[in-house]
Amino acid sequence: MIGAMIKKELIQLWRDPRLVALIVVMPVIFLVLFGLALKLEPTNVKMAYCDQDRSFFSNLIKTGLWSDGYFQLYEVNGSDQIVEEIRSGRAKAGMYIDANFSNALSENAQPHVTFYVDGTMPSLTTAMKYNSSAATDEGVTNDMYFLDEDAPPTVIAKDPFVMDTVVLFNPDEKETWFFLPGIVGVLIMQIALILTGITVVREREKQTLEQLLVTPIGKAAFVFGKLIPYIVIAFIDFYLILGLGWLLFELPAPASHLYLALLAMVYVAVMISLGLLISLLSQTQQQAMFIAIFIIVPSILLSGFIFPLEALPDYIRPLSYAIPFTYFVEIIRGLLIKHTHIVDLWHAYAALGGFAVLFIVLSMLKFRRSLL
Amino acid sequence: MIVAEHLTKRFGAFLAVDNVSFHIAKGEIFGLLGPNAAGKTTAMRMLCGLYHPDGGRVTIDGETVQRAKPRFGYVSQFFGQYEELSVWENLRFYASLYGVNDTARLETMMERYALEPYRTRHAGALSGGVKRRLALACALAHDPDVLFLDEPTAGIDPVTRKQLWDDFYALASEGKTLFVTTHYMEEAQRCHRIAIIDRGRLIAEGAPDTLHTLLGDVRVYAVATGYNPALVDAAKQDGAIRLVNQFGSELRLTCDAATPREHIASLIAPFAASAEIRDTLPNLEDVFMALTTKEHA
Repeated sequence: MIGAMIKKELIQLWRDPRLVALIVVMPVIFLVLFGLALKLEPTNVKMAYCDQDRSFFSNLIKTGLWSDGYFQLYEVNGSDQIVEEIRSGRAKAGMYIDANFSNALSENAQPHVTFYVDGTMPSLTTAMKYNSSAATDEGVTNDMYFLDEDAPPTVIAKDPFVMDTVVLFNPDEKETWFFLPGIVGVLIMQIALILTGITVVREREKQTLEQLLVTPIGKAAFVFGKLIPYIVIAFIDFYLILGLGWLLFELPAPASHLYLALLAMVYVAVMISLGLLISLLSQTQQQAMFIAIFIIVPSILLSGFIFPLEALPDYIRPLSYAIPFTYFVEIIRGLLIKHTHIVDLWHAYAALGGFAVLFIVLSMLKFRRSLL
Repeated sequence: MIVAEHLTKRFGAFLAVDNVSFHIAKGEIFGLLGPNAAGKTTAMRMLCGLYHPDGGRVTIDGETVQRAKPRFGYVSQFFGQYEELSVWENLRFYASLYGVNDTARLETMMERYALEPYRTRHAGALSGGVKRRLALACALAHDPDVLFLDEPTAGIDPVTRKQLWDDFYALASEGKTLFVTTHYMEEAQRCHRIAIIDRGRLIAEGAPDTLHTLLGDVRVYAVATGYNPALVDAAKQDGAIRLVNQFGSELRLTCDAATPREHIASLIAPFAASAEIRDTLPNLEDVFMALTTKEHA
């Protein structure tokens, strides 16, 4: 009896070649992709650099940071601007050396330099802090000891200068601040893709689509009639989840409630319309589920949510920018944690809006007023 | 009212409908009769715009199908209403897709199809007959000129079937055109005009009671005997007999016109010596069987 059942299940599965392809091809692609892409060791991290001293010695620090190939330095004016560069997302780290550096150094007064690091990306923050040691290693400091053989011996501090590390935006490095804003997006993505992903296929499987398509219902009426209710539901869900985050985990308040609502609106529209597109492309509910998972997993791993974008190989980076969730992560961290200026986020809003339009247009094109 | 010209539909290498043409007049009940997989449903789906024909065209009162959509209703052979919605909600939903929001009209439909007792019942919980009536009410809510019915009484008990047909006649007398597919002979007999489709091609067309002329000069002998495999085999071997059709307690033998009664009597003698032999006209079933089996042979 059990044998017959097993055989039947296998035959049924085998007769859905798309599903078999998904089951076989998906893990292969994911394994190769994630094997290549997922690294915790970033390179070419943008660093805003301000050297007021402009001496041979301050240059040693700069060279030390450069030569590792880890940080990519660019010049800014003043420590305030370093913070703003990091807030805007243009830089992830910063280095500030004040004008008094070489003077203090030559007097063995152990000057301080400041290393700034973006505290919104857990793995990146840790990695950057670790790699900042390039500024203080022996290659840099060797030339900073002033040993004059004729002079009377002086007490020399073990380290010629001290590097202070400032973790910006999340000074206590709270893990909930790292992850929770992104988690809101992941949950909405799951709910939206699964909810809408089956909405057309189910009508196809239950034969209600046939009865619907003989009516004079237009493309726009069908597509928007499917989208709007789920957008409203997912929007409410978004605030429900975020509200719980505020209540239970003390997430910070957003820079602007209006822009947070705009983000919720656009992001939910992107995910719901993507779900509808999946549903229009699938023949069965199972296929729709698999495609949804196919989208959710790489979205989480390649969006900079957990693994830093800076750690992705250059040839995989474009894929990250093809993932809507990447922009969501950037905006929500900007709004809630970094309080980024809207000017620096508008391109991410535009990208999300573009995805929403793209998916809706593709759904309209894919929706046919006939079965075949 | 409905004009189909050279309709053709392929599914891969399989030619489901092959160059099918017909004209259906206003107020007519037109039946498309054929065995399973003959192309009935495919042809009907092209008529209501669910399939794009690979060749040929359809017009409904001079308009393309897509433009004519507000003017026809369609009842699929499967239950296509929403199971989670109540009877009333389903009816209102389909009506509003046609821009009909006239509650009084919908109430008339509820009454006409005896749906009142089930008003708040979820459609998924209805019995087969009520589901069919709900589907009809939904298809007729916008008062269409043309009604497409795909196997409207498949799986329906004879009493309900008769009620449905009474309603179809009433609709036709109101001037509506009905297009019905069926594989029930009894149902085909009720149509004003029928066409027989087999393996994608139209092989006969006409009023049900004139179709027998298509068989040419034949005689039908009805032998009052139950099913006897040996007799059926012997009859099939007989050169003069074109078709053997067991019909309940009657064995119907369609023979060449010149075949004498004695020939039949001698054939059946070894099996059912005392069986009564009746000389009769070919019925629709004989025609259908003869035409479709001839094609297959």
